[in-house]
Parts: sequence; C-alpha cells; structure tokens
Amino acid sequence: MNFEVISPKTTPELLNAIYDNQTENFRIGAGFTDLINQFKTQETEGLILINLTQLKDDNFKLIIENKTNFQIGALTTASEIIDNKSIKENFPVLYQAASKLASTQIRNVATVGGNICNVSPSGDMTAALIALKATCHIIDCDGNERKELLSSFIRGLKKTSLTKKEIIKNITIPKNAGQNLKSGFEKVGSRKSMEISIVSLAYHLQLTNDGIITHAGVACGAVAPTIPFTTSACEFLIEKNINTISENDKEEFAIKVLEYANPISDIRASDWYRKEVLFNVSKTIFGK
Amino acid sequence: MIITFKINGEIKTQEIKSSLLLIDLIRDVLRLKGTKPGCLEGECGACSVIVNGAAINSCMYLAINVDGKEVTTIEGLGNNENPLHQVQEKMLENGAVQCGFCTSGMVMTTKAYSDKCIAEGITPTREEVKKSLEGNLCRCTGYAKIIDAAEAVYKK
Repeated sequence: MNFEVISPKTTPELLNAIYDNQTENFRIGAGFTDLINQFKTQETEGLILINLTQLKDDNFKLIIENKTNFQIGALTTASEIIDNKSIKENFPVLYQAASKLASTQIRNVATVGGNICNVSPSGDMTAALIALKATCHIIDCDGNERKELLSSFIRGLKKTSLTKKEIIKNITIPKNAGQNLKSGFEKVGSRKSMEISIVSLAYHLQLTNDGIITHAGVACGAVAPTIPFTTSACEFLIEKNINTISENDKEEFAIKVLEYANPISDIRASDWYRKEVLFNVSKTIFGK
Repeated sequence: MIITFKINGEIKTQEIKSSLLLIDLIRDVLRLKGTKPGCLEGECGACSVIVNGAAINSCMYLAINVDGKEVTTIEGLGNNENPLHQVQEKMLENGAVQCGFCTSGMVMTTKAYSDKCIAEGITPTREEVKKSLEGNLCRCTGYAKIIDAAEAVYKK
C-alpha cells in the first residue's frame, strides 16, 4: 500500500479536501475495516485517502436526541451505538444489528456512515436503519445540504446517490409514536461470530397498549442487490394484533416479504436456501 | 508524516509513511514482536492491541491515527514488580495457552473488556465473556480453557 493521506480536523478542512481533489482519485475512510482490506488487494499508487478519524465535529460524531428524531453522526461507531441507552431502549433493532456485527475489535472502529457507504446488501446496521426509515443528511463541498431517505439513497449494488462532491454528515431516525415495540434484528449465518449475513431481517413494529400494530418497518438483508424496505409486507401488518395474529397472516406476511427477495447463490448460501430462510425467519418475528 | 503518541506508557515521536499500518509500526519500526500478524484482514484478532482503552485490530488501523492517542501492546502489561498482568496469570492458571500465537491478542481483548466491565461495575456472564472474544481465533481449538481464563478474571 502506498497512498497519500489527508486528515482534516474540522468540517471546513474536510470540505476543502474534497473540493481540492475533485480531479484526483480519492477515497474517504473512517473505520477502515472494509477500506484497508480493499486497498491491500488493489493498486493504491497515486490514491489520495481522506481520513476522517481525526475529524472533530459533533455533527459527525454524536448521537443527539432532537424534538422529533434521533440524530446519529456518520462517524458513530458500532460500539457507541451499543453503549447508547436511548438507542437500546427506542430502537432495539439497531442495537441488536450493531451487537451482531463482526467482533468487538471491528465494532470499536467501524462506523455507521461506513456501513451505509460500503453499500453491502449484508450491511447489518444499514438494514436496521432502513427498517427505521432513517434519513441521510448530506453535505457537499460547495456548501449545499440535502436529505434523502436511506432506502432511496442506496441505488443498487455498490451504488448510492452520493456524488464525488458529497459526504454523509449524519443520519436521523424518526422518534417512536409510543413505548410499545416489537423490534429486533435476526441474523442468520453459519456461525455466530464474525459472520457476514446469509439472510438478515430487521423489523421495528410499533404497537398500541393492546398490541395493535400502528407502524411497521421491515427490511431484509443479503437477499437482493440492495436492502429492500418491504412496503407491502409492512402495510399488511397495520391494524393486525400482534398477540392474536393468525398462522395464515404470519405466512401471508412472510410471502409478502419474500416478494422483495432476489438472492444470488454464492459461497455463503444458494438462492433457494436464502429464500427458505427468509420465509421462515419472517414468520417468527411475532413471537410464540 | 510525524506522529506523537504514547506506547506502553512512553511518549514517542516518530516519522512514518502515511499509509503505514499500526501493526507494521509496532512490529517493524518499534520492534515489539508480541503483537502477532495472523490473517491480516481483521478476522483472527491475533494483532489486537488497545488504543485509548478499546481493543482494535492493528492490521486494519492506520498508524497515523494513533497520533495523540495511547497504545498498549502485550509488552506494556507487565513491569518489574508485576511481570504478568492478572489476565496473563489467569491464562497460565487455566492452561489456556497452547501454541501461543493467538495468546497476546486474546489477552489484550480480555484486558480491554475486563477494564470496561470493572469501570462499569459489571460481572459478565460466561456468554458475555464468550461474546467479548468473538473476534479472536485459536487454531489449537483451546477455546474452553481460554474462556475459563477470561471468566476467572472476575472471580475473587
């Protein structure tokens, strides 16, 4: 590896670095748990790395509770997500996804922004954030800002709407309407640790005191080029009672989730297996 | 590029190439060979060191990013009075070392985790201890004894 590194300390320095290098081949890195491995297998001569590790800006780094949403800085690590009590309480799906990601050593450095921008169909925190209807807040080196729903920000395999001038500053998640939740992250792999999902299912259901589903967010990972938000499956759940939902309805929900799956066969699992697993996992999220 | 950092309690200023990895700074520049290069892609944890209290894989960490930070390697755990850290003592007592290649990574991860648990006043369950070591592989398959040792750190 042989590349040049720019380590901005402030956001203006960061935006200048992006602006000044528009004609160059540059990459942006934060936790480096994916990027370093990519660099090791490719030519890095002439590459410029914009290193975010030394950036000091709370808008990029902190988890902040606002009036209507929670704001998570793009540089928040998976470990910081796990240690945050509000996240654990309000968004168990995100807490569980961060906990099930890789290993302690990787969680200590891997960031939310990196997980999103690596655009892997098996990105665990990304799947949780899609289920939570998260929005990306993006800034560019000309001083513009824009927002985009994460589910539309991801445009395809390894593709986002991010231009060479832009960077994600933070992500916001709308607050829950109430306290009653059925929220979790199911990750299926061949072992528990250091696993890249064969199938993952992120779900966040908001309920009335009686168990009626009022809001539903379900996304499935590693079964399509992107991580689809399963709109029709979510709509199907509205006004169903989680305590009395019938076996038929559970199956119908799972069939609707499966409509979003278009998996490939690879070293981890066949497309047939991924569909079977997704179907079975989808049925079980309601509990026994 | 010049960086200043603390390693095993000692402040160092070092000129390095900006693309140098932390593991190479530790092993090749500082000649501290206790940190082991295993898979070199973040799977095995043999290269684990502690940066500002957190265990990280030094094979995927840029050396320039320890500027202003505190790094602890396996060599930093002992001193003349106490040559072995408590985690190392427990590894010995439990026969948790076989070929030894994974051991320094196991020790560093366990130390970081036990420091965190002690600071928060938590005694972890065996399952939690296991989970804390999920980023460390042992090719001698000695996990039971390693987990026994890591768990024993919390027993009086």
